[in-house]
Amino acid sequence: MSISNKKSALRQGLLRCHNCGYITTVLSTNTDNTPAAGTLNHCPRCDGELHARLPNSFQRTAALLCSAFILYIPANIFPIMIVTKFGVPEPHTIISGIVALINGGMIPIATLVFIASVLVPLIKMLGLSILLWAVQHRWQRNLRLLTVVYRLIAFVGRWSMLDIFMISILVSIVSSEALEQVLAGPAATAFAAVVVLTMLAANSFDPRLLWDRLGAH
Amino acid sequence: MHNNSMKPLAYEACPQCDLLLNAEAIAVGIKAHCPRCGCLLYRPRHYSIERSFALSLTGLILFIPVNLLPLVGIVVLDNAQDASLWSGVASLYEEGLWGVAALVFLASLFFPFLKIMLSLLISGHLYFRKTHRHLSIWMRTLQHLDEWAMLEVYTLGIIVACVKLASRTELKFGFGLAAFIALLLVIVMLSSSLDEHLFWRRIDALNKSARKKT
Repeated sequence: MSISNKKSALRQGLLRCHNCGYITTVLSTNTDNTPAAGTLNHCPRCDGELHARLPNSFQRTAALLCSAFILYIPANIFPIMIVTKFGVPEPHTIISGIVALINGGMIPIATLVFIASVLVPLIKMLGLSILLWAVQHRWQRNLRLLTVVYRLIAFVGRWSMLDIFMISILVSIVSSEALEQVLAGPAATAFAAVVVLTMLAANSFDPRLLWDRLGAH
Repeated sequence: MHNNSMKPLAYEACPQCDLLLNAEAIAVGIKAHCPRCGCLLYRPRHYSIERSFALSLTGLILFIPVNLLPLVGIVVLDNAQDASLWSGVASLYEEGLWGVAALVFLASLFFPFLKIMLSLLISGHLYFRKTHRHLSIWMRTLQHLDEWAMLEVYTLGIIVACVKLASRTELKFGFGLAAFIALLLVIVMLSSSLDEHLFWRRIDALNKSARKKT
């Protein structure tokens, strides 16, 4: 694919369908970048709704990100898993679970869990904050790098579910009341919510907002 | 305006930076990247419709043993205990964590199933050149649920759980796990063989020929 004329499609009255990638022409757009009255509302090819940019992208991403930040606190404070051995309950938070793995000599698995349940959510939340900051303050430099950050966040998001899946397996398998019992703790709900909220936040962020500021004053 | 926009334009736009590009035919085996932001624009596939059809049919068959057979089991005092996809959801639900239970159910059972069913319906219709009024809706749904089917993440969850258990008890692996890994491979191959550009073009052609007939 070759560059047509170094301008965005929207500035030339062309609009890409989010669903099927079909290019349509728009005569004019409202201030919120939706096609103005009298122009197309639905894609002629796939019949999906047409938007020049994802609707309310900045506000939605910011709201979802704030909720994720708040829920990240209970997710780390409360126990995510309660292991009862011979009647003695032993609560584990995300961090203490990783420490237990390190003490057990299982360094590779501990690293894996650390990356999936500590590093990935943090990178995602910080990365999205930087992206929102860049849009708000109209950064004009390193736009390519920021788009790479966006792609990384979108790719990496789902892998934090690792801890939740592991717990669901342990809970169902270790349930003989005689010796040992594993229960999921209150942090599991909070952590699952953090994962879903950050995934939704990444989905509602439109990286084209970064590029729209380029050269526009 | 309407008539004009129905005619396909010889342009493409980058989905991530909206740079206007001249549409070009891309050969199989070549990846087209956006020259400005580096986004992967298009990667054509060999026999995309045929492969998607075959793979989704395989996936649908594999779904039966994956649902019915246990994945892993342990033996405690001659007392065998198993975990399957369903039992994990059920234990979380019984414990009162219905939100987590619902999420695990959706990500490990419902969305993978929906993904396979939709792929089968769409590629089947395209393969036999049959049109259906819901083809576009199916395709749009398939594109949106792609990242919510998380079997590969679940696999890592199984591995970590097994490592945690292996230090204390003896593990048993059943046919359920083999079927699960096969299903995982099928779904990963399905994602990579599905050529969205080609699918949309073919859906469009089918819809247009259906419109002409009526």
